Amino acid sequence: MNAIILSALLGVVMMFASVFTENKIAIRNIAIFGLLILLASNLLNIYTPYSFNVDLHNMLRFDSFGLFFNSIAIVSTLLYVILSGSDIVKVGNYPAEYFALIFFVLCGVTILSSYNSLLMLFLGVEIMSIPLYILTGSDKKNLKSNEASLKYFLMGAFSTGIMLMGIALLYGASGNFNLEMIREKTSIAEFGILAPLGLLLIFISLAFKVSAAPFHFWTPDVYDGAPSVFTSFMATIVKTAGFIAFVKLFSLRMADLGPSYAIILPVIIIATLLVGNITAVFQQSVKRMLAYSSIAQAGFMLFALYTSNDLSTEGILLYAAAYSIATIGIFGILIKMKDYTFDGYNGLAKKQPLVAATNTVFLLSLAGIPLTAGFFAKYYMLASALKSNGSALWLVIVAVLFAAVSVYYYFRVIQAMYFKDGDAETTEIDGTFKFVLVVLALLIILIGINPSILLRWYYF
Amino acid sequence: MNWLPMLLDATESTAANYFPIGIQIIFAVGFVAFMIALSAWVGPKRKTSDKLESFTSGISTHGDARHPMAIKYFLVAILFVLFDVEVIFFYPYAVNFKSLGWGGFEAVLLFVAFFLVGFFYIIKKGALTWED
Repeated sequence: MNAIILSALLGVVMMFASVFTENKIAIRNIAIFGLLILLASNLLNIYTPYSFNVDLHNMLRFDSFGLFFNSIAIVSTLLYVILSGSDIVKVGNYPAEYFALIFFVLCGVTILSSYNSLLMLFLGVEIMSIPLYILTGSDKKNLKSNEASLKYFLMGAFSTGIMLMGIALLYGASGNFNLEMIREKTSIAEFGILAPLGLLLIFISLAFKVSAAPFHFWTPDVYDGAPSVFTSFMATIVKTAGFIAFVKLFSLRMADLGPSYAIILPVIIIATLLVGNITAVFQQSVKRMLAYSSIAQAGFMLFALYTSNDLSTEGILLYAAAYSIATIGIFGILIKMKDYTFDGYNGLAKKQPLVAATNTVFLLSLAGIPLTAGFFAKYYMLASALKSNGSALWLVIVAVLFAAVSVYYYFRVIQAMYFKDGDAETTEIDGTFKFVLVVLALLIILIGINPSILLRWYYF
Repeated sequence: MNWLPMLLDATESTAANYFPIGIQIIFAVGFVAFMIALSAWVGPKRKTSDKLESFTSGISTHGDARHPMAIKYFLVAILFVLFDVEVIFFYPYAVNFKSLGWGGFEAVLLFVAFFLVGFFYIIKKGALTWED
């Protein structure tokens, strides 16, 4: 509860920061300070009884899964703001408002990690999405940014409509918004098609939010058109929050309600892996490649829905952390590049050896090479699939093959940095930036050597 | 008269159950068509070109809808709608004033506080200053 209330209030505080100061560095520091307070309040909520006591009418439920994800999301945002904060304030004329919107997105994220009622799911998705539509279009003079914003808004509005229809049908079948009550009161025999259809519509809408194929079409255009700093935020914290909401919906064995998800999910997983990986191979721009790679990574995260056991809940948390940290680092470096194509990275290792080295660690982690966090993230996902269902072996093999495909396009960046001659032009890179990059890379290697460093906080 | 018990018995879901609804649709459409035809036939007629123009508060129209306008008009209009609609929330509160008690009063105070914070923000940001 602490994180939900404080993130909304801090958003208002950031709004008023713009009224009282024009100093961009001060605004960034206020945001960092606010995120630290937010993190502290969330930790208080987990490990001590100090939290706001509000009568929630059982609409929100705080468990260690959601609260631990809050910590991951807040820490990721903190690292993101420290790393790219100086680029966020450069996007346009309203630096404080960008941070305010980021806090409002975090408010939606924290609701999504603890909802217990379909109404709160809807509110969380909306509170998370609406600030993003604005952030996508924040580069006002850029036509691509405007196009991306409009596209994202229209598609998002339709998907929300579909979700509302699904919620209405589930309510019609059960007379209740509460997740457990719906689970209890609805049986296919009694209510016919209503409940399965409602669940399917919510499934479609959430699949849109996490850009799973075949609902991924907005992703490349929006990620490419949005200012790079905000793409970084959208591809990491927001996407993983969508998955947490998804997993929460399915962890109550809601899937038993619907049409056979044992058939639907493998089809969607393979389609997502196929579209993401194969299309990413043909990209010329690293930013667009990362957009497709985020679709491909979503394919792996979908395994958590397919299995729903203790390994997959640990796995999705680990995946959220590993994927967020690596992607924030890669985008942080991408923002500093003057040329976003693969050729733009040529010879970066000679000019900025430290930046190139950390970038290599991030890319290896996304590809899932051992000794990086990405390896254990993928490992947990695939292991949970094998644990829950022996016949899932073929699906695991397909996923591993696609992971091998992903190595090709991630290594193209490494190849450009180290083995090609060129003059990689960057904007100025200061000491803080390099320091945070090293911290991110160390985190990835530490989690990659021993994932229980992260997961032991989950079982406090 | 064997259709009357059928009208009252709604437990069976057959096509015959929709018979009364069919009658009502026919009646509704027929009544509207009849009234329009009747007023056209009986009523007085005076045809002028002014009557074919769209009604804009007595001001004659000019240009088409794609006419560029200052963004300030939209800003003021949107802000007006925003604050106007928020006032609607006071009506249900007023109706339930007694039963909600002090808890409801605190909730409304919180609502008004956020409301005023937003208002203060747009004033400070200069969203309502008309002259540049």
